Amino acid sequence: MIFNHKILANSARKQYIKVEDIQARRGIIVDRRGRELALNLELDSVYCDPQNFTRENEKLGTLASLMGQKPEAILAKIPEQGRFVWLGRKMEPEKAEKIKSLKINGLGFLTEAKRYYPKSNLASHIIGFVGVDNQSLEGIELKYDKYLKANGGKVIVERDAGGRILSSGVITEIKGNNIVLTIDEVLQQIIEKELDKAMSKWKAAAGSVIMMDPFTGEILALANLPDYDLNKGSSANASERRNRAITDCYEPGSTFKIVIGIGALEEKILKPNSLFDVSRGGIEVGGKTIRDVHKYGVLTFKEVIQKSSNVGSIMVGMKLGKERLYKYAKLLGIGEKTGIDLPGEVSGWIRPPEKWSATSIGAIPIGQEVAVTPLQILRAYSAVANGGYLVTPHVVKEIISPDGRTIASFNDRDKIRIISSRTAETFREILKSVTEEGGTGTLASIDGNDVAGKTGTAQMINPATKRYSKEKYVSSFVGFVPADNPRIAMIVVIYEPRGQIYGGAVAAPVFRDIANQALSYLKVPIEEKQNKPDIVVMR
Amino acid sequence: MMRRKRPGFLSLTLKSFLVILLIACVFGIVKLRSDFLKLEYSIGELENKKTNALRERKLLLAERTSILSFAKITTAQPSQEGFIIPDRVKVISIDKNKKYMPYRASLEKRNLDEP
Repeated sequence: MIFNHKILANSARKQYIKVEDIQARRGIIVDRRGRELALNLELDSVYCDPQNFTRENEKLGTLASLMGQKPEAILAKIPEQGRFVWLGRKMEPEKAEKIKSLKINGLGFLTEAKRYYPKSNLASHIIGFVGVDNQSLEGIELKYDKYLKANGGKVIVERDAGGRILSSGVITEIKGNNIVLTIDEVLQQIIEKELDKAMSKWKAAAGSVIMMDPFTGEILALANLPDYDLNKGSSANASERRNRAITDCYEPGSTFKIVIGIGALEEKILKPNSLFDVSRGGIEVGGKTIRDVHKYGVLTFKEVIQKSSNVGSIMVGMKLGKERLYKYAKLLGIGEKTGIDLPGEVSGWIRPPEKWSATSIGAIPIGQEVAVTPLQILRAYSAVANGGYLVTPHVVKEIISPDGRTIASFNDRDKIRIISSRTAETFREILKSVTEEGGTGTLASIDGNDVAGKTGTAQMINPATKRYSKEKYVSSFVGFVPADNPRIAMIVVIYEPRGQIYGGAVAAPVFRDIANQALSYLKVPIEEKQNKPDIVVMR
Repeated sequence: MMRRKRPGFLSLTLKSFLVILLIACVFGIVKLRSDFLKLEYSIGELENKKTNALRERKLLLAERTSILSFAKITTAQPSQEGFIIPDRVKVISIDKNKKYMPYRASLEKRNLDEP
């Protein structure tokens, strides 16, 4: 008989049994072609056990220089009591090796997973980032956290008298699900580069570009400037982190004319060749006169949109009436969240007809007194591009388990028919004329394919005076290409450009430059038969 | 007086053999246990090596991904122009491999129902 069997057995057990953490690793994020956008690195973190720490000034000095701190700062971190304090988290491998080689008593190392974004700023507002403890903070990392993260746990392993762990064959690492995005790295890079160029050229305060497949709602690229380096996400300021494409509202200006255009055609109250006399150059609504930029004579409905006549648009709006105008705004998704799978989307704003003022019927048809997000406007134009369907924009294509099974696929998201294909086709023809000679968006036209789109220029509200600013504008262009067989729908919004304010001059060229490169990358053939290529590349 | 029968040669041999076998078994078990532990150490070391290799692989993969990013490629050219996407009017690419053509979109090809 052995005395104190239980105590001795427990004591022995403590010696050879060790409880280890199962390392949980987030799933990776890739673009639609499998290019990695978010990965995990295994990095060492250094901690100190104050009870075993021996101060050696020379080694401490080296440690401090390696950690980029003063020796006093390191000593200040080490308390008198306690057995554990972090000195440095997730350090670069070379640095960690150098610290290990110092062999300072009381210092220990633990391997931790660090989220790494190899493309730095690319798609920062889509991907988002995690904090130092891998807690999700923004973007897809936040929205799909429950799929990406894996829950760790504990595992019991055996060790010998020397503390060496014996092979146990147990799982010590589990991974979360991987996410495949709808975005394409190359298209993303193209829009970011062109947006950056435009921002520099016009010394603008901010800008957004969204490129979408108008048939499926798949976001092919989405960029905002200013942006931030995902690897330094915590140090980015609020302005850099804002996903303006879905969280910022603006008055859309003339791009909102889609609502009166679609409404008038769908209700069959107008035809493209219906005439409007806008020769007075202005129209009085509720005691307020709204003017056109240029004086026109008699315009057809098509020309009203092509030349973006405010007076003509208000006349169309009046013919449509406030109830139907509101109805079509809502049908096109204005004032409603699009349902994009990114955090922070706002719904925008449009007042119901009973709350309209006397001037509203003069303001709303030209895109004032309404607040929209760039994504809402793009979605509305996509309905024209795809033959009349309102799609659900989304950035996640698939969720894949660590063993390669598809857990969820979002290839077929809901789409609702909101207008007839005939209305969509007619309005598409009208939008094509915008980029043709005589239109406001000629700078958006590209060689080889027709572009359908609309320019927009809107005054911003001065928060101090609560009146329209005379210096601050939002310039935009929204459209799709090739017009008759669209492959991409895109919106370009430039906030507060300097030197030029019109959407046709500021945003339309950005659309053109992006579309040219995107169509080339997507290998979309040119349509003009007279243009024969110089080189044919067979693959 | 009873005469005790002396153990025979066979019996002695058998007993000795059994003793030797017993000792051999004991040593065998000890050896087996020792080999088993050695094996566990070896596997443990290999697992450590594997962990380190995987760790390094992750680092290298991240580095490769960063280097091969489209942004780096476009700026890696010696000229300021960087990577240039071909002019669509002058160059046509005929790609027989339709694997990467998820963007194909056509009103004609989709059965979009009228309300």
